[in-house]
Amino acid sequence: MTNNWIDIKNSDVILVMGANPAENHPVSMKWILKAKERGAKLVVVDPRFTRTAAKADIYAAMRSGTDIAFLGGMIKYIIDHHLFFKEYVVDYTNAAFLVNPEFQCADELNGLFSGYDAKTRKYDKKTWAFQMDEKGLPKKDPSLKDPHCVFQLLKRQYSRYTRDKVSQITGTPKNKLLEVYKIFASTGRKDRAGTELYAMGWTQHTIGTQNIKAMSIIQLLLGNIGIAGGGINALRGESNVQGSTDHGLLFNSLPGYLPVANASWVDLKTYIDKNTPKTKDPKSVNWWSNRGKYITSYLKALYGNSATKENDFGYSWLPKLDEGMNCSWLMLFDQMFNGQFEGFFAWGQNPACSGSNAGKVRKALSKLKWMVNVNLFDNETGSFWRGPGENPSDIQTEVFLLPACSSIEKEGSITNSSRLAQWRYKAIDPVGESMPDAEIMNELYFRVKSLYRRKGGMFRDPIFNLTWDYGEKDTKGKVKKVDIHNVAKEINGYYLEDVIDNKANPPKLLGKKGELCATFVHLQDNGATSCGNWIFSQSYTQKDGKIINMMARRKKTDATGLGLFPEWAWCWPVNRRIIYNRASVDPLGRPWDPQRAVIKWNAVKLDPNTKKPGVWEGDVPDGPAPPMADEKGKYPFIMRADGMGAIFGPGLAEGPFPEHYEALECPLPANLMSGQRINPTMKIFHGKTKDSVEDVFASCDIRFPYVATTYRISEHWQTGVLTRHQSWQLEMAPQQFVEISEELARTKGLKNGDKVSVTSIRGKIWAVAIVTSRLRPFKIANSVVHQIGLPWCFGWQFPADGSGGDSSNLLTPTIGDANTMIPETKAFMVNIEKA
Amino acid sequence: MSNMIRKAGPFEIVNHWALAISFFALVLSGFGFLFHLEQMNALFGSFSRMRFIHNWAGVIFMVSLFLTMFTYLPVSLRLGSDDIGWILKAGGYLSKKAVVPPQDIINTGQKLYYLVFLLTGSAISASGLGIWFIAGVKKWVLISHLVHNISFDLLVTIIPLHIYLGTLANPGTFRIMVYGTVPLEWARKRHEKWVRRMGY
Amino acid sequence: MTRKALLISPEICIGCRGCQTACKEWNQLDGVKTSNAGSFENPPDLIPALYNRIRYVEVPTEAEGQRWLFVSQRCMHCGDAGCMKICPAPGALYKTPEGAVAFSKEKCIGCKLCVTACPFDVPRYDKDGKISKCHLCSDRISQGLPPACAKVCPTGAIRYGERDDLIASAKKTGHEKVYGEMDLTGLGALYAFKDAPRLYGMNENPAIPESVIFWNNILKPLSYLGLGGAVALALIHYVAFGPKKNEEVTRDE
Repeated sequence: MTNNWIDIKNSDVILVMGANPAENHPVSMKWILKAKERGAKLVVVDPRFTRTAAKADIYAAMRSGTDIAFLGGMIKYIIDHHLFFKEYVVDYTNAAFLVNPEFQCADELNGLFSGYDAKTRKYDKKTWAFQMDEKGLPKKDPSLKDPHCVFQLLKRQYSRYTRDKVSQITGTPKNKLLEVYKIFASTGRKDRAGTELYAMGWTQHTIGTQNIKAMSIIQLLLGNIGIAGGGINALRGESNVQGSTDHGLLFNSLPGYLPVANASWVDLKTYIDKNTPKTKDPKSVNWWSNRGKYITSYLKALYGNSATKENDFGYSWLPKLDEGMNCSWLMLFDQMFNGQFEGFFAWGQNPACSGSNAGKVRKALSKLKWMVNVNLFDNETGSFWRGPGENPSDIQTEVFLLPACSSIEKEGSITNSSRLAQWRYKAIDPVGESMPDAEIMNELYFRVKSLYRRKGGMFRDPIFNLTWDYGEKDTKGKVKKVDIHNVAKEINGYYLEDVIDNKANPPKLLGKKGELCATFVHLQDNGATSCGNWIFSQSYTQKDGKIINMMARRKKTDATGLGLFPEWAWCWPVNRRIIYNRASVDPLGRPWDPQRAVIKWNAVKLDPNTKKPGVWEGDVPDGPAPPMADEKGKYPFIMRADGMGAIFGPGLAEGPFPEHYEALECPLPANLMSGQRINPTMKIFHGKTKDSVEDVFASCDIRFPYVATTYRISEHWQTGVLTRHQSWQLEMAPQQFVEISEELARTKGLKNGDKVSVTSIRGKIWAVAIVTSRLRPFKIANSVVHQIGLPWCFGWQFPADGSGGDSSNLLTPTIGDANTMIPETKAFMVNIEKA
Repeated sequence: MSNMIRKAGPFEIVNHWALAISFFALVLSGFGFLFHLEQMNALFGSFSRMRFIHNWAGVIFMVSLFLTMFTYLPVSLRLGSDDIGWILKAGGYLSKKAVVPPQDIINTGQKLYYLVFLLTGSAISASGLGIWFIAGVKKWVLISHLVHNISFDLLVTIIPLHIYLGTLANPGTFRIMVYGTVPLEWARKRHEKWVRRMGY
Repeated sequence: MTRKALLISPEICIGCRGCQTACKEWNQLDGVKTSNAGSFENPPDLIPALYNRIRYVEVPTEAEGQRWLFVSQRCMHCGDAGCMKICPAPGALYKTPEGAVAFSKEKCIGCKLCVTACPFDVPRYDKDGKISKCHLCSDRISQGLPPACAKVCPTGAIRYGERDDLIASAKKTGHEKVYGEMDLTGLGALYAFKDAPRLYGMNENPAIPESVIFWNNILKPLSYLGLGGAVALALIHYVAFGPKKNEEVTRDE
């Protein structure tokens, strides 16, 4: 989230698209409804009329997978009616930047941008660059009239997204489109704030990243980023998903969003060079210029005293990816399916139900020699060998179950969507033989290390040099009990030497050797500091020698009245509750909307540190520099090298502007917007071996005529491993169901409550039909398209009598977003018949 | 001792006692339920037990009521001019000088009483079963409840009179419930038709 | 003690059913095996092991578009409670000082009469034949805690508090009529409906069945009157006319 949960209450228009907070984030509805109480409008765009839609002021139905068309139409509407926030757009975004004249938009190239290579399915991004002046700064046209400026290109790109065209693609009636566009575009005014809430409904598409990019463009046009009640807010699907992503959950990121090294970056210097953006603009903070400090401090946290300047701080011990190597979910299971893995730790997950194309996943598991299932309960993954259609005697995989304890049986922090790290306490002791994850890891680490000691082996150094100071050690050197506070402190980081600010006059001691770091601003690239995750520096700190767990704070002060609650727990970065908040003020530091001031510049008050006049009030600003108009002022988007919000974003695979492409499986033979039906850059699994018949697709195929989408429901958690064992939850939602429209039910002769079979080209499940007026057929171009909906929280193993059905992911495809490889489970094609 | 005549056989005596005792149990518990008389706990132990006793006493009452029909129903239905005479004289209860027409083994009042009792007894039994067993159908339970209570009101009114007439008001009557026999002279005065029919 | 109540606001109910689970958790009610009958709503009705459930009502209208209404169904804690009126077992159903209609399984005799007298079809019977229904978490509210459902509701769609305050706050948010304000001398579960209560499956004019009122007001006192009257009559007769002694009986010769 750019903002935070509570901040939703400050909004005037809340667009929920690609999310269903009432069902998946019920507590967030408290704030949405609070906003409504103030007169805010809730707009819900979803293929289904959900429980969130039930609370909406405006509901617009939209065919799954057509979000970019929908949003592109909104961009066109905003530009055509001059509803954008001109000052913000010119001063704070790259709208005025001039792009290479050779760059061509998708409207010129029939759905492609300049630089596409059909053979590699990749773009050469050479033309997607800005024109630079002699000082090395981007050329700008603040009048936004130059035909090569981002704004004009944007206008051109979306000129095709007329309401007629959008309506034909999305199936949303034209008047509904207008209603949504009108209300959301109304937040382009200074005194209006609009927010967007999304979740998996946007990410789980082959164009997922571009869905979000399209909304970012809208929010930048309307000046909604950085302000209270604005932003683009990802509702994370689990209480600690934000935390796990922050700490390097993804294959390509180390803690704190540092990239995972690849083999071609031979030493630390190369790593830093390759990953440190540069700018010649003195007004740009370019925060990632600190990359070297963060990676070095991270290495110091990993390898402690073994990490020295001489050995590149142990950089060589970090695991590396091959160049261009992708280890995302789909790739891992594809390789597993092709027999390239021996073993697998399924830690806190249930891929046999949660993995897209779960049939392939289940087969892949059978190719393993061993699997360790770390979970609260045995699940469909641990028991895959005795699942439906499996013959246990054919399967050689040895499965171990390590019982993990639940979150209430251990102490530690969780980080929620608001980037808020909250300390939690243990309520009860772990049940039975179950252990906290950290204890299981401690056990593993010690045993792996002992194995190395006894038998030797490759890659010994990364294990032997790892710091593991998490508690008192026994005679064999094993940590007896992991003290989770020590882990939190390691994440926060230490001063390994006295750190002195030499720029200050006289030089000032920033931190004393051995103490906990006060902030990531103090981190060093010379080995004088350690920090397990730079964005969490300040979470567990020390003041006047006293150690303070900032995450355990529980004070309910709220000076701004915006619900920032700065003394409640702690949020990254440096307790900033709304990021990019420098964009909430004008270049002189005055809030665009004084009624909702996130920060404001007080030019008179003395800065307590520098003793000079001029200080920011309110939230923690994005850097202490004075407002942009000041001589020493800085641009608001400090994480970007040029300091500007990116309307033109050359970083993504498919193009600098989002373009509508159909889902890999769609009901249409062609894209009504262009000649390019699907995302030209996504990875398509062709099934390299003769076994992989699983990687099949059926688009515009009369055998699978209906669009399907998957989702969660309030009553179950993810694949339901926790909630299906909970009879109270199961009582409310006992069986796999499929939501279908009354019209489709009539066509197929189905009655409410009938048992039906739902098939895709990859698999088949049964489900109970919920026939409802909450789903309506779409009028797409000149035909009628039916959409159905399937929850994915059921599995064959429990309830034990099989009455729950099996996972709807048996139907979903092996295809992912071109940037993130998140599978496209939100739009695929199926058939439905009475069982 | 003067000559005796048998008015009631052992079956009739036992059945009447069954009816009487079950009735007392039912009435006491019935009042207990109606007015939440917790004093009844002294008698029944608890309200749950009281409900149990009420229900099963009801069953005894019902069976017993059914069996009375063999004894009293045929004669009760035989109403004639003498019965009208009896009614006109109010059964002789309002004047010592009144002379009532000769009566059968039971007199007109007893006949009418029996008919009313049979009807209300049946109603209270049937509705009792209704409350007990058709809990699912709200409407019928409500009707049963109503009928049960109307019958109850009637029964608690007529039974005390019946008891009074069978004891204090007519000395020498109560022994029928004990011995089944009455002095011939007593019978001749009150049940002349029957005595004559018996050949005395 | 002033009367407490729940204020249920379907407009801000999101149908998440946190209340349904919290209720079962606090009251330690068993999970029941159900099946999906073509609806989110489940179990399809109140059962002994379910004191509170969310009804899902789909209202497709041409004018306003699709609507989906959520509302909690449970004991309404009537001021004038039909169940208490008809219950033959003292203490089986009782009013707590806060105004909740609570029950005692020990004292319940399992006659099920309360079912017939309830205007809202709420009481259910467990496998031991004892009454089972929402008791407003009488064990929590007696300790000053809100009922489990109100405690867990994320949006404030179920609120617990002083009955008068709740009515006032509902009126302040534009609900001219609060369902249950006056009915049955005031319900303990108030509903802030903007639509017709009928739309939510609620009785427009809830009332105790007339037969129960007739029974309570007429038949019940009549039984004492009948008994008393009969005894009095016998007494008067005995005093006025005396017993019919055999020697006094004259035969019609």
